[in-house]
Amino acid sequence: MMKWIKLAVRNILRNKRRSFVTLLAIGVGFAAISVFQGYVNHVYYGLRVMAIHGEGLGHLRINKAGWQEKGKLEPEKYMFSKDDTQKIIKLATEENTVRLATPQIQVTGIVTNGIASTIFIAQGVVPKDDKTIKGRWADFLPVKGQTLSDEKRYGVEIAQDLSNYLSLTPDKEGVVMAPTLSGQMNALDIKINGVYNTGSEFSNDKFMRFNFYFAQSLLDTQSAERIVILLKDWQDTERMRTILLAKLKAAGINCEIRTWEDLSLFFSKQKNFLNIMFTFLFSIVLVIVVMTTVNTMGMSILERTREIGTLRALGLKRRGVSLLFSLEGALLGFFGSIIGIILHTCVWAMIRIYPPRYSPPGLAMPIDLVVDMVPWMLFILLLCFVLLSLFAAIIPARRAAKQNIVDALGHV
Amino acid sequence: MPLIEMRNVTKDYHLGETVVHALRGIDLQIDKKEFVAIWGPSGSGKTTLLNLISAIDEPTSGELTIAGKDVRSLTDNKKSEHRNETIGFIFQGFNLVPVLSALENVMLPLQIKGASAAEARKQALSRLEEVGIGELIHNRPAKMSGGQQQRVSIARALVNNPSLVIADEPTANLDSVTAHMIIDLMRELNEKEEITFIFSTHDQRLLDRVKRLVRLEDGMIVNGGAKQ
Repeated sequence: MMKWIKLAVRNILRNKRRSFVTLLAIGVGFAAISVFQGYVNHVYYGLRVMAIHGEGLGHLRINKAGWQEKGKLEPEKYMFSKDDTQKIIKLATEENTVRLATPQIQVTGIVTNGIASTIFIAQGVVPKDDKTIKGRWADFLPVKGQTLSDEKRYGVEIAQDLSNYLSLTPDKEGVVMAPTLSGQMNALDIKINGVYNTGSEFSNDKFMRFNFYFAQSLLDTQSAERIVILLKDWQDTERMRTILLAKLKAAGINCEIRTWEDLSLFFSKQKNFLNIMFTFLFSIVLVIVVMTTVNTMGMSILERTREIGTLRALGLKRRGVSLLFSLEGALLGFFGSIIGIILHTCVWAMIRIYPPRYSPPGLAMPIDLVVDMVPWMLFILLLCFVLLSLFAAIIPARRAAKQNIVDALGHV
Repeated sequence: MPLIEMRNVTKDYHLGETVVHALRGIDLQIDKKEFVAIWGPSGSGKTTLLNLISAIDEPTSGELTIAGKDVRSLTDNKKSEHRNETIGFIFQGFNLVPVLSALENVMLPLQIKGASAAEARKQALSRLEEVGIGELIHNRPAKMSGGQQQRVSIARALVNNPSLVIADEPTANLDSVTAHMIIDLMRELNEKEEITFIFSTHDQRLLDRVKRLVRLEDGMIVNGGAKQ
């Protein structure tokens, strides 16, 4: 095999200019895909962290069965009682992969500064558990002022745009109004502890965070709407959903569990959008690589018709000729990919040194554009390109193999 | 048993609606160890005859056996094996692979056969020494003269120890001195190694060096078909 690889390499080098242009086309195509893939990989990471930690979704969310469909109409019926809440937390935290299980409750209502009012959506969270869920995200988008605390339950956090709209800055006071679970209107005084950026322009003008017990008081209930599970590793999400569902069912708790991916509409939309863009880009590069390889191999075969005749006369079988030209195609793909990896590394290094900033759609602040260097992705892409070039070379290679020997030898 | 036996062999080519009768009823027998020249004017059918003998083309009708094998009955793969093992080729234009050195060109038929690189190298070196260009083994064809290239071509034709070597106008691209040297070398190998040589030529100056002449005209043997 080595002798044929050696021959194929020399044949590629025979017409240096043509081969260089072909390799450059493959290399640029490879780099375009790999850089985009590196960018998408980082965006997926960012969106995942934003969903799990930034939005506070955790990895899993446990609701009473039927909550999704009927929870808004009959909230009390589809909430966990105090006993059930404690039971679920106990069962969940028995699992080694579970880092935290915490109750939460959502409140919607009206917030006012005494002059102006607007709607809000607030998450009632246990302050110390919320800090754990936020993790390093809290450093990325820190709360201006103070965070929630167990001591001052009426102290709340308010999203940046909502804070601006109502001029509710840290230490200022306001009132929140919301219907209790029995339908009575309830109002409680609040004091702004801190202002935070949700990271999303869609939620930055309506989100608030309450102490869990304060939210319960506003809704006049002892129940919890959901239990949020934070895992040690996000890759255990699907496995733990299955395990916990079975475990809770066995304990007589009729519940439904959703993953962060099910819950984060923003993540799903962005992922679908990026996947479509990736498919589109890959299709264009695929056509370029195939056309370039087919053209190069076609030219090469035309120029070497007499040589093909000679090799066949010397006893090389048709499949030998096919193999030789297919190998040349595959090697074009391989060397083109190596050029692509070099280009990718250059672009990656440039972006690391001089990161451009941009505001992606849906995000409330500009961020650094980051391209990840993912070796296994580059390796998979290299394999794809080698196979692609190999398949692109097969048709001209088969045409070369089928040539009549006498005609090929007489070719001028 | 003759090495090559042709009975009433014809070969027609179709050029559009016109049928060209390249060979018309060829009867020819060539034994082992013969040194035969097929000669005649251009278009007389010399190359077509050699193509049939070398199993790179098929007759339109008639019987053709080479070393006892009916070539027409062989599959394409079997024909390839037959050519590789039985026949050595020397081409008018040398037809060396330009990206390979002289040594690698000579190793090629053995490597096609599946011989190891070491074995192929050993035999190729021996053949290159035999044709007198042992010092040019690492040169590529572009760095060699026509005579040197043809010697490499001869070494390549002999490296598989074939029973038959076919040369289509092997001296056409050479000056007369080199042409005589090449024919003398072929004859020497024919006598020393008892390999059958069949070559085509229209150069009458070479014919006095040949044991047997087969003259073709208009696709027919006009002289030398039967063994003398």
